[in-house]
Order: sequence, then C-alpha cells, then structure tokens
Amino acid sequence: MSTSKIIPLGELTSLVANGSSLALGGSFLHRGPFAFVRELIRQGKRDLEIIKQSPGYDIDILCRAGCVRRTRAGIVAMEGNFGLAPYYRKAVEKKEIELEEHACASLTAGLRASAFGVPFQPCGGLHGSALPELNGWQKVADPYGTGEAVYVIPRITPDFAVIHANEVSPEGDVRVFGTSHWDRIMSRSAKRVLVIAERVASSESFASQPELTLIPHFLVDAVAVVPRGAWPGSCWPHYEVDYPAVEAYLPDGADVLAAHLAAAPEAQEAAHA
Amino acid sequence: MHESWSPFSFIVTNLARFVRPHEVTFSGVNSTLPMLACLLAKRAYDFEFTYINVAGGVDPQPSSIPISSSDPVLAEGSRSIFSNEDFYDLCTRGEMDLCFLGAAQVDGLGQTNVSSIGDWHNPKVRLPGGGGGAVMLPTARRAVTWRTEHSRRTMVEKLDFLTAAGGMAGVVTPIAVFVKRDGRLALQSWHPESSLDEVRARTAFTFDAEGAGPAEPPTERERDALRSLDPTGTFERDAGVRLRPEAAA
Repeated sequence: MSTSKIIPLGELTSLVANGSSLALGGSFLHRGPFAFVRELIRQGKRDLEIIKQSPGYDIDILCRAGCVRRTRAGIVAMEGNFGLAPYYRKAVEKKEIELEEHACASLTAGLRASAFGVPFQPCGGLHGSALPELNGWQKVADPYGTGEAVYVIPRITPDFAVIHANEVSPEGDVRVFGTSHWDRIMSRSAKRVLVIAERVASSESFASQPELTLIPHFLVDAVAVVPRGAWPGSCWPHYEVDYPAVEAYLPDGADVLAAHLAAAPEAQEAAHA
Repeated sequence: MHESWSPFSFIVTNLARFVRPHEVTFSGVNSTLPMLACLLAKRAYDFEFTYINVAGGVDPQPSSIPISSSDPVLAEGSRSIFSNEDFYDLCTRGEMDLCFLGAAQVDGLGQTNVSSIGDWHNPKVRLPGGGGGAVMLPTARRAVTWRTEHSRRTMVEKLDFLTAAGGMAGVVTPIAVFVKRDGRLALQSWHPESSLDEVRARTAFTFDAEGAGPAEPPTERERDALRSLDPTGTFERDAGVRLRPEAAA
C-alpha cells in the first residue's frame, strides 16, 4: 500500500525554504496555486524567485508582501479589465525585484532544457528582438548545415513546480480539466512538485482513465486539498473569477491586504475548523 | 443615414476583417478586442476558419463572452484542448496563419514595444512584457495588433525598447487601419469621421497612404454580430475607446 501524500496547506508550504525558485502553474487569473501563494505570505517567506510565463495576481501579491527577490516572466498583468499588475510594476520600477524578461516560449524552452536533461534548448523566433541581447542568449548556426540560425535558451530548473489541480488521488496523481497551460512542462522541469487540489478522487477513478492524468504520483512530493484554492481566480469548471474580490484587493493599504488574506477560502476554512 | 461608427466597433470590425477563409487564427491573453473580433468573424462571415485561443479552445462555442480573453469558457464546446505549448510550437514551425499580438508602441516597420516606457533598466513605466510577441511576430505568417490610443506616443518613430521584430501585417486604431507594404506600415483606411491629415498628425512615423480612403462602414451582419456579442454594451464601456482624446478643460 502506498501512503497518502495529502498534508495540510501550511505543512506543504513550509517545505519551501526562503530563497527557493518556484514555477507557478496556471495563467493570469486562471487555475493558479493562489492559496499556496497566500500561505507563502502568511509564513513570511523571503527572497523567492517566481518563474511563470504569464503571472498576474500571484506575482503581484507576493511583491506587495515583499516575498520576491527575482522573477522570470513573459507577460505580467492582472487581466480582465484590471490592466497592469500595480504592486509588481512598482517593485520593478523601484528595483526592489530583479526581472528577467522572457517571451513565454523562451521560458518554456528553458524549462524544456531542464525536462529533457540538456543544458540549453533552441527556441524559434526571437530574431530582431532586443530580449536576446538583454539576457545574453546565444544564437547558434545549425551544425547540420541548413544555414538556419537559432537562439538557445539556458536550462531553467525550478526548485519547485506548484500546481493547482482539479483532482488528485491520495497517492498524488494529478488531473486538470480544460487547458493545462504550462503545468505539464513545469512538472517535468522542477526538482520537486507540490500540488494543491480542489478535491480527492479515488485511485480507481484515475486507473480507469489514466490518459487523463497530467502528472503521475511518483513525480509529486506533497498534496494539499483546498477547495476554492484558486480564488480569486477561476478553476474550471468549478468556479469563475471573483472580480469584486480582485477589485477589493487592489487599493493601497496594509489593512486591504490583511482583509484580502482573511477573506480567502483557506483562511475561512481554518477559522471554522 | 448611418448611425455613427463607434471607435470600439471600428477596431473590432477591422480586426475581424483580417481573418481569412480556411486559415488558423489565434487570440491570446490580454486580448479582449481580438477575442471579440474572432468571435465576430465566426458569426458574420460565411467562410470557415479555425479559431484557436489561449484557453486551449479550438473553434469553441462559449456559452458566454468572458471579460478575460484567457477565460476557460473560451474552451467550452471545443472538442480538443490545444494548450499553450501546442500553439507556440504551431507558430514557430510556420503554421500559424494569423495571430493577434498586443503592443504599447508600434513603429513604422510594425515592430513593437511591450516592455517599458523609458529605458528598460530605468523604466518610467514597467509594461506587461511581450508574452508571445518576440517569438510569434517573426514566425507567424501574419500578425496584427491594435491600439485603443492613436497618438504620437503610441505610433512612434523610435521604440523605447524593441520587444518584438518581424513586423505587423496590420495595425488597427480608433482612427486608422495600417497594412504592411514593402516592409513598412502603409495606411489602408481611416475612420469615416477622421481624415488622412488627422492620421498623419497623430502618427510619429512616416507612412505611405497611396490608395487609402475612408473605411467601408460595417455591414449589417458585422453590426449584428458585434451586438450579439456585446448586447448590453459592457465591453464597449469597459474598453473606453475614444476617437479623439478629450480636449483639455
């Protein structure tokens, strides 16, 4: 019998040391591991590196709480009419965090290098952009002589990939509904994988349709079950974006952040436990 | 008498007019107007095309039109999920016919800045970043962008930072439609309530305007399609697009 990997959110989050690099799943306001992100803040984590093609709420609130040292990202915004991510923007402009600006696909290329076990990975496009020079990316000629040249992106190996999933088995198999965004490549590139899930499904249900499993249990270190954990974002098909909650999060003030953290589903759950 | 053509409708309709039969067309994150344009094209035009989007949808039948252009509702009714890695790979191997990409600044070559206003290392404004741009703009068969503000600070002679090269095949603003001709943006048409002089005055790069004229007003089907997508005018209000900046008080 395999043992359950399900542990409380607080315990899962405490596996992350200050200074860790975290690849966060989802995209903008959709299926991000946001309960985990808020728990990082509650636990006072510092000097984190956030790796994500399209972060938004997650990088913004982590910058707001002073948890971030560095980020590698392709596009950062709150989306859904909210525009720029204000606390992230301030953190970059005041040089409180370091930004490595990517195209989404160049970040994926770096993750692929890690997943494939090679030091770098070619990435299509990028020609003419100022990003390669900014980041020191090298262009190499096709060694097989087609005359094509391609940029190569150095390996990106996050300490952790953290995924918000729809369903997990007790052993840690992971299922997501709808698009998997970049979660799959993140789970293959990181040293360890942490999962927050809406609910547990039986091992038998996973075995009956194994092709629906995005991440097999042996890649997963720990799982926390947090219903509505992607709030204030969406988790298809369970719930949509809570736009009023995002709007209420945005104004300045420590009290606003505190109220937002207290209103989160995982905090409400703890208060009633 | 035509009712006046709102600048919001002007942008969405003219974006939709870049969609061609039997092609693969993509809309991404932070792209509400292109999302509406792709859905408008599905409803207003008789030809078939494949619409894929950043929510993984392939010719979806969304039950509602989302505020966020990456909302999972945009995969409703889709018979497959074509995820982020899939559509980037499709683009870099040269099979993406048309993709819509955002821009803060556009220059006369159709290159874009989505990174920073001011020096990248000392930004006055840190912008979102290009997302797909640097990879998709040079590898898509055609890419089209839009700006809800047409001014000399958005349509620039020189970009503050060159996020994505390769050159847009089309640029749509509240007053103008540009297309690529001989490697540069050329004016194709202007809003019927604008003029060539106004477009020139509000554009910092030089452009060819040969053959340009007022844009064809929306057809009844284009109007109906947009109305069906935005029956309460919520998207139009949220977009807040104006033909001209309000006069200083």
